[in-house]
Amino acid sequence: MATKRDLRSLSTLLTPSTLFLGIFFLGPLAVMIIFSFLEPGVYGGVVWNFYHWNYGRILGWADGEWEDFDPVYIDIFLRSVRLALTNVGITLLVCYPAALWVSGLSARWRTFVVFIITLPFFVSLVVRLFCWVLILRPSGFLSTSLMGLGIISEPIDIIYTETAVLIGMAYILLPFMFLPLYASIEKLDHSLLEASADLGANPFQTFWRVILPCTLPGIAAGAVLVFIPSLGNFIVPDLLGGAKVMMIGNLIEQQFLSARNWPFGSALSVMIMLVMFMLIVFYLRRIGRSEIVR
Amino acid sequence: MDSIAEVREAVKRFPAPEGGVITALDDISLNIQQGQFMTLLGPSGCGKTTLLRAISGFEDLDSGEVRIAGESVAGVPPYRRPVNTVFQNYALFPHLSVSGNVGYGLDLARVSKTEREQRVGEALERVNLSGFDRRKPAQLSGGQQQRVALARAIINQPKLLLLDEPLSALDRNLRQSMQLELKSLQHDLGICFLFVTHDQEEALTMSDQVVVLDHGRIEQIGPPEELYHQPATRFVAGFIGDGTLFSGTIENGAEDPILVTEDGLRISVGIGPSVGTKATLIIRPEHLNIAPQEPDNSLGILDAVLEQSVFQGATRQYVCKLANGTSISVSVAGSGDEALSNVNPGDPIRLAYRRNTPHLILES
Amino acid sequence: MKHPWLKRLLSLHGLLFLAFVYAPIIIVVVYSFNSHPVNMMVWKDFTFDWYLSIFGNPTKLTEQTLYVESTDQLLSAVKNSLTVAVTTTTFATIVGTATALAIYRYHFKLKPFYQGLLYMPMVMPDIVLGIALLVFFINFGVKLGLMSIIIGHCTFLISYVFVVVSARLAGMDSTLEEASADLGANPWATFRRVTLPQILPGIVGGALLAFIISMDDLVITYFIAGVDSTTLPVFIYGMLRRGVKPEINAIATLMLLFSFAIAALGLYFRRRN
Repeated sequence: MATKRDLRSLSTLLTPSTLFLGIFFLGPLAVMIIFSFLEPGVYGGVVWNFYHWNYGRILGWADGEWEDFDPVYIDIFLRSVRLALTNVGITLLVCYPAALWVSGLSARWRTFVVFIITLPFFVSLVVRLFCWVLILRPSGFLSTSLMGLGIISEPIDIIYTETAVLIGMAYILLPFMFLPLYASIEKLDHSLLEASADLGANPFQTFWRVILPCTLPGIAAGAVLVFIPSLGNFIVPDLLGGAKVMMIGNLIEQQFLSARNWPFGSALSVMIMLVMFMLIVFYLRRIGRSEIVR
Repeated sequence: MDSIAEVREAVKRFPAPEGGVITALDDISLNIQQGQFMTLLGPSGCGKTTLLRAISGFEDLDSGEVRIAGESVAGVPPYRRPVNTVFQNYALFPHLSVSGNVGYGLDLARVSKTEREQRVGEALERVNLSGFDRRKPAQLSGGQQQRVALARAIINQPKLLLLDEPLSALDRNLRQSMQLELKSLQHDLGICFLFVTHDQEEALTMSDQVVVLDHGRIEQIGPPEELYHQPATRFVAGFIGDGTLFSGTIENGAEDPILVTEDGLRISVGIGPSVGTKATLIIRPEHLNIAPQEPDNSLGILDAVLEQSVFQGATRQYVCKLANGTSISVSVAGSGDEALSNVNPGDPIRLAYRRNTPHLILES
Repeated sequence: MKHPWLKRLLSLHGLLFLAFVYAPIIIVVVYSFNSHPVNMMVWKDFTFDWYLSIFGNPTKLTEQTLYVESTDQLLSAVKNSLTVAVTTTTFATIVGTATALAIYRYHFKLKPFYQGLLYMPMVMPDIVLGIALLVFFINFGVKLGLMSIIIGHCTFLISYVFVVVSARLAGMDSTLEEASADLGANPWATFRRVTLPQILPGIVGGALLAFIISMDDLVITYFIAGVDSTTLPVFIYGMLRRGVKPEINAIATLMLLFSFAIAALGLYFRRRN
């Protein structure tokens, strides 16, 4: 079937990406995984000895010393998972009705509103987070405005709380939830809703029994797309959570840029990568391949 | 007559999606003569499109060969074959104007600008689209797109024009007028047309020769009349035209041989084959009539019960049931047989046919 | 929908949703023109001074305050960002398009493997890729600088271009290429006259997306940027970490304008088809 000519053009087209991704994508991942099994050097760097306590340390006992049991890292890990899940919930609750609303608009408005909603996605992440820093600071917009209106008498301090982190994460990840939801609601056959109403279902029953089950793939896609970047995020907790709301991303950053324990930082990254892989494999098994392509 | 294209013992197999192998072409041989309008007719999946693609060069054969103008084209890529195709979905280039589409082949051949203008103009005139050259395909109706596709394919003056169900997307009226137009275009151009369709009416209307395909095999090749009146196989008999098929064994009757079906129906046939042969008989609605009162030895008689009478405009159709439960239709010109005006559904009815008209298909 | 109150409730939510999306951006833009020197969130007067000051023109207002940042640093960060974005966009667009064509056109055993490999960088959390690239570069003695950033960006931007171009290819009527060959075009002529014009919007869209993502990337660049190769997002992030200053409002507004301009350009190209 494949002629020599075909093979030649196929390899010409594929060689650049194969080489590049092989060396600069798979290569770094391999080095990181290897590093996660090496002994940390005293002044940073690594010592080339096999050392599995980097992973032990995540679970709370470092260097095989049971006395040192300290679940501080587990706490951070669990907090990250909890915040990421909460963020999935928030974005879902905010985006689902919005997607329903947009899909009910006339065709011309629909494209326009979808464009308007996704437009801020093109704005720099730092800029978008900076907006929230300005709003949530004690001397920020929210506090100042509420005081100006006489609703509160003292500045409120929302920044550096979990609430601030959740607001920021939801804000930057909204499109990742909105777009898959909208795509699956849009695909919904309108006559199904009419059929359901015709068979005697009120709007809530129609929603619960028809709309929701039919858009489940969109929900799952949105959940995966929001959960993964939430889990490893370190910019949002850094700017809006401060030292109080440390997430696994901040811990990793610390290991590389201040604590200089690279193997431990690598082990933490490998953990995030594993969680991501498990999620994606689960997702592909359950929902199918077609939905992941946005 | 000169042979324009020839297919010899072509075999093509595809891996089936659910495992196993689909034989799309099973030892196909056919010959297209100069100036012929040939149609490949068959149900979907019969291999007709695969055969077309093997001739245009988009599929390689597993064995056998395609010869165009006497030369084998094995290994010759589509762009070097002297055939052009009108695609089912027209495949007009959306980014090019009508003129860009029609002149595409000329541009590739680096034809001079003046000649290009002239030939594009001529081709568009041929398909009655003069003045549309600046439009984009999206601004045309389905019928107009069809004409552009046609003009684009004939401008290179191919030896053979392949048409892959080009009329299937058009509505009925447009399709019928396009059929006649295609036929006269083919006559004017003198190019061979190889036309693919699953619509038997279309095949009968336009073709000089019809090739009936089923499951990758040729069932019959012949002019439309022959296919209709003398189908070679049960499949052809059932696929082309209406009619009822009876299978059975030939036995000796009182005068002529008779066909006895498994459930005991006895139908006399004309000058007969030898006794004991297994055969299939086809009776078409227009073969049958309501039996006259006086006996007539040249007629065969079938006893039936009237089920329904349906007004069809130029004809009236009577749907009847034979003793063995087989449904059979009778079509009578005009608004119906007067003798039947007071026969109601459920009443018995006698059907007559000329003994030599029903066509007998012998099983080998 | 025969329940007007339900519809109204949904519309209300939709409008609130839009407000939530846009309010923060509007606030930053409006207050970038505020001349209050001490509390930037208390409106005083309209001024362009913050814009003048980021371009190195000290004004009365900015001289009074202590917020002067080095304009040179800012401009070099902008220059670095543009250099990186233009280089990566060019490279990623060529490689991503070639890969998409190969995957679309040919059937080969390793195809699912390639598709997986190409989707992986997009779903990989930024921090994991950043860390992996960092240890990789350090381990093999690659100097952190513009080159390392360009390489790092290309690892995931190839995938974005690949996905956008693939989607366009999948939407293309494959009989168009056959029609072209049928009319006498050899494979190269078919590519140039039919395939390329058909997928060009996809290529342009992919390139614009790659450009925006490269300009905006913070996390990966943060780990693999050298000391003297700061990009704009990393520079602003650094400024933010040291404290909020009114100039950032002005910089943010300019970046907003820039992003909207690119998005509008993308929309224009999509509309044209």
